[in-house]
Amino acid sequence: MSTSLIYSMDLSFPSELGYEVIARDAVSAFARRMGLSAERIEDLKTALSEACINAIEHGNSLRPDLRVTVHCHLEPDRLVIEVVDEGTAEFVVRDNLPTISEKVAGLGPLRGMGLMLISQLCDESSFEPCANGNRMRLAFSR
Amino acid sequence: MMLEDELTVSTRERDGVAIIDLVGDVTTFAEEKINAAYREVTNDGARFVLLNFRQNDYINSAGIAILIGIVTEVNRNNQKLAVSGLSQHFQKIFRMVGLAQYAEIYQDEEEAIGRFQQAAAE
Amino acid sequence: MSDETSQPERLEKVIELRLPSKLGYERVAMDTASSLARRMGFPDDRVDSLKTAISEAVTNAIEHGNQQDAAMKVVVLLTALEDGLIVSVADQGRKPLAQVSTTNSPKIEEAFERDDKGGWGIWLIRELMDEVEFSTAPSGGNQVRMVIHLE
Repeated sequence: MSTSLIYSMDLSFPSELGYEVIARDAVSAFARRMGLSAERIEDLKTALSEACINAIEHGNSLRPDLRVTVHCHLEPDRLVIEVVDEGTAEFVVRDNLPTISEKVAGLGPLRGMGLMLISQLCDESSFEPCANGNRMRLAFSR
Repeated sequence: MMLEDELTVSTRERDGVAIIDLVGDVTTFAEEKINAAYREVTNDGARFVLLNFRQNDYINSAGIAILIGIVTEVNRNNQKLAVSGLSQHFQKIFRMVGLAQYAEIYQDEEEAIGRFQQAAAE
Repeated sequence: MSDETSQPERLEKVIELRLPSKLGYERVAMDTASSLARRMGFPDDRVDSLKTAISEAVTNAIEHGNQQDAAMKVVVLLTALEDGLIVSVADQGRKPLAQVSTTNSPKIEEAFERDDKGGWGIWLIRELMDEVEFSTAPSGGNQVRMVIHLE
């Protein structure tokens, strides 16, 4: 088995706000072991919290019987995190995320703010519907 | 890079006391470093040895076993051992395990040095 | 993390964590459990006790139960209740835990005489947690269930 699969971690929790804080602390402890710098870990914390809140509120519609799963694994030069929900609501990805000035001007939905943060804090982020839900993929270089 | 080793061990001498500073995690990975530091000060003739922690937040049972090994050697070599800088939690653990009977626990380095000097004067 | 009083059914709110069997990763379990315990309102000294207990349980699972085969997982379940926190740690049981090791009380004077000065982990768990139970996990591995009460 490849190293990246061996040094992987899975975390799952109920879709209730507040659990994203626990997920954030779990994944940042994992990232520290992987040798991610303190600064990158701060980025990761914010991006991951946003991704989890999105999965809890939107993907799983705040239903505590549905679960959010976070997979983390190491690739040669980066840490990859996937946040998966059970997809009660299909996610519509917009091509152009609103800019901060559009936000301030009241343009675009507030939700986009979390996604904007995620895309700016990660080295790579993507969002895709998967078998039974949505999957947000975040990558952080080491 | 995978982090396995998160302990820094260094030695210094102050007022006749050999101080071993332990910064970081005291787990199974700490064994060689701690034993090497102890051997070094012992070879230099230390009679008073202080293990100076820095409110370390992770000492586990493997770390405790290493410290019991040090106590065993200290008794064999007729040295005196003290510890300082332990968090409240690990002061409690040291008492539970019985380490406190063999190594006086002081809040900080100053207090430990003062007591060692008193002991040396007696 | 607030328990909604309006919530009709009693859902078990479980956090599941699956870790590789490599020493050092017990840190992830410690940080996850302490994050949850703090938010549940446990005082600092209880959080510290929980961290030590979970570290010993996960370290045992890595070293003993899974024989440090990194591909084997250690499964940690954290269940937040109104009056406490249940922590369950299970391994894949390459090596079963001897019954005697779950009940012994080591003595430091005896450790001085032995080459192996360890053996404090399970005893520490029993001393620090309010309820401790050893059993066989559904996976066939070793399982320890620990409860810490919220006063």
